[in-house]
Amino acid sequence: MPRNGSREGSAFHGLGVVTLKELSDHFASARMRVLEWLVVLVALAAVYGAIQQIRAVTAEDPFLFLRLFTTAREPLPSFTAFLGFLVPLMAIGLGFDAVNGEHNRRTLSRILSQPIYRDALLFGKFLAGMATMSISLVALWLLVIGLGLITLGVPPGGEEMGRALCFLLVTIAYAGVWLALAMLFSVTFRSPATAALVTLGLWLFVTLIWPALAPAIAQALLPNGDEATLVITAQALSRLSPSTLYAESVLAILHPATRSLGPVYVSQLQGALMGSPLPLWDSLMVAWPQIVGLIAGSIILFVGGYVAFQRQEVRA
Amino acid sequence: MKYRYPALAVSLCVAMAAFSAASYAADGASPDVKGLYLLSDYPAISVQAGTTTTVNLKLRNYDMAPQRLALSVSGVPKGWTATLLGGGQPIEAAMPASDDSVSLALRLDVPKDAGVGSHTLTVSADGATSHISLPVAVTLAKQLPAKLSVSSQLPELRGSSKSDFEYTFTIKNDSGQKLLVSLAAQAPRNFDTAFTQAYGSQQLTAIPVEAGKTKDVKLKVTPPDNVDAGHYPVTVKVAADDASADAKVALDISGQPKLSLAGRDGLLSARATAGKDSTVPVTVTNDGTAPAENIKLSGTAPSGWKVTFQPKVVERIAPNQHVDVQATITPPSQAIAGDYVTTLNASTHGENGTANFRVSVTTSTVWGIAGAGIIGAALLIMVGAVARFGRR
Repeated sequence: MPRNGSREGSAFHGLGVVTLKELSDHFASARMRVLEWLVVLVALAAVYGAIQQIRAVTAEDPFLFLRLFTTAREPLPSFTAFLGFLVPLMAIGLGFDAVNGEHNRRTLSRILSQPIYRDALLFGKFLAGMATMSISLVALWLLVIGLGLITLGVPPGGEEMGRALCFLLVTIAYAGVWLALAMLFSVTFRSPATAALVTLGLWLFVTLIWPALAPAIAQALLPNGDEATLVITAQALSRLSPSTLYAESVLAILHPATRSLGPVYVSQLQGALMGSPLPLWDSLMVAWPQIVGLIAGSIILFVGGYVAFQRQEVRA
Repeated sequence: MKYRYPALAVSLCVAMAAFSAASYAADGASPDVKGLYLLSDYPAISVQAGTTTTVNLKLRNYDMAPQRLALSVSGVPKGWTATLLGGGQPIEAAMPASDDSVSLALRLDVPKDAGVGSHTLTVSADGATSHISLPVAVTLAKQLPAKLSVSSQLPELRGSSKSDFEYTFTIKNDSGQKLLVSLAAQAPRNFDTAFTQAYGSQQLTAIPVEAGKTKDVKLKVTPPDNVDAGHYPVTVKVAADDASADAKVALDISGQPKLSLAGRDGLLSARATAGKDSTVPVTVTNDGTAPAENIKLSGTAPSGWKVTFQPKVVERIAPNQHVDVQATITPPSQAIAGDYVTTLNASTHGENGTANFRVSVTTSTVWGIAGAGIIGAALLIMVGAVARFGRR
């Protein structure tokens, strides 16, 4: 097999076949079913709590429907917090054995002996994962909105629906990051168990430990820095975690009164009418760096996995 | 020893006299006065034709047995009416107890055509043993001195419709008794008037003035805001019992410009991008009664903001006219997106018009484009990787 040989035809020849096959595999797998049920049940519990809370507490809110996503009721966290936690789990569950599973089943060389490029195989696996996640999340999103319509009896406004839709897209981008990471590790590690453990470990680290660790690291990096610099540095460090990026962008999108996600000087708030909602476009501009981080991060992670896969020996 | 004052023996105060007489009797000292007397504080008076006058009388019994005394008035000129009153009603007889007195009043109705001159009326009290009389001299005068007068030190004041007009009045009581003087002011419609003490804030409707003394009161006139320029008279009337006086003062109200600001079509909101100039059309209107001149335009915004006007100064706006100007609002480049309050100001001499503008700040889309560029770069890397590492 000549390396760096010029390719004949499109790199994506056979992409559709791989994607459809992977998609049907995903939806037929018991693993996927368990994950789906977990996510649906937990999310419904959160939404139910939110509805109870809204009925009991909220008198009037121009964005009542968005409260469905963000209101928490003890002891359950809010719907968005649940998604921030469970979407990575689902994405990792879908992607941790994407490539090394084929290796272990000794099916990789058999697939590649078909007129399908490696590019198409990896792209197809990624796209199928994304499609699976998207279908599940859209179904869940519609479920929540329908539940809200039935129980709250208030039709959502156009801007609310726009914000809810942006929230859905950001959640899908967030899922993409974790799917790409899981696939990268499934290429790097031959054993699916190792890949799953490493990915889950990394997920726990960046989600739970890294945000708590960031201020300490900022303190260590800048021992003589003033408070504002330390806060900014700690925030910049914690934004390396996709969980932080996701939480911040959800905050800006679902809480229209959010004006800034970073530290704000008092002078910048002089004369500001606090609590007045931002238009959707301005809210998106506030969250845009975070959204860009999620999208670009998933692309870069996928490229990493792609490069690693292309350089790998396939013969088993 | 108490009550050793001779004056007290002839005191007009009934209770005191009775008490002192009793104390004299108790002391065993013989009183200097004994018998029945018809008394009056002022047995000679001046009256004006066409008026009614009352002369207070007193029938006094010093240490005598009580007896019935028939009362009569003689020497009443033709056309006059003289009535003896006791306890508020006409009486024919009186009966003072020992060491006691009965108050009487002689009411005189003097006809309008009574000639100038002196008359003596005699009030008589005739009992079984005693016959007493009191001559009352009545002089008809053409013009009696005023019993009450009011005067203003500064009767003409000038100001705008927003000023308070304060007039100080001196009320003089020339009658022989303390008077409760009621105060009233007649002002044009919707003018607010209030009397206060010269140095006080309590509003008054009446003020007591001692005999022969003066009191200062202050009248505050507040014209309605929308009053036209002009000359407005106010009449102040003071009155007590049968005396009254009035004084005239005047307000000279000059016109007042009144400025108001609004965006085009009354809009009070604007949009601005952080770090960029945004132009807001502003209409300055003069709703007042006088032209506004040399109107300075300014803006109060959060720190770091820049608010300028084009033009900065408007020469003149006639009443009920408006002028369009351009306000340029520049939020600082670090401004956070959201709504802010900016106050725009138009001020001329003593007049100020303000409007609060709600400025919606949007952040620059440069960073948004940069973000899209980053995603594009990531995609380019992917395309590059596909091209570089693509294998058959």
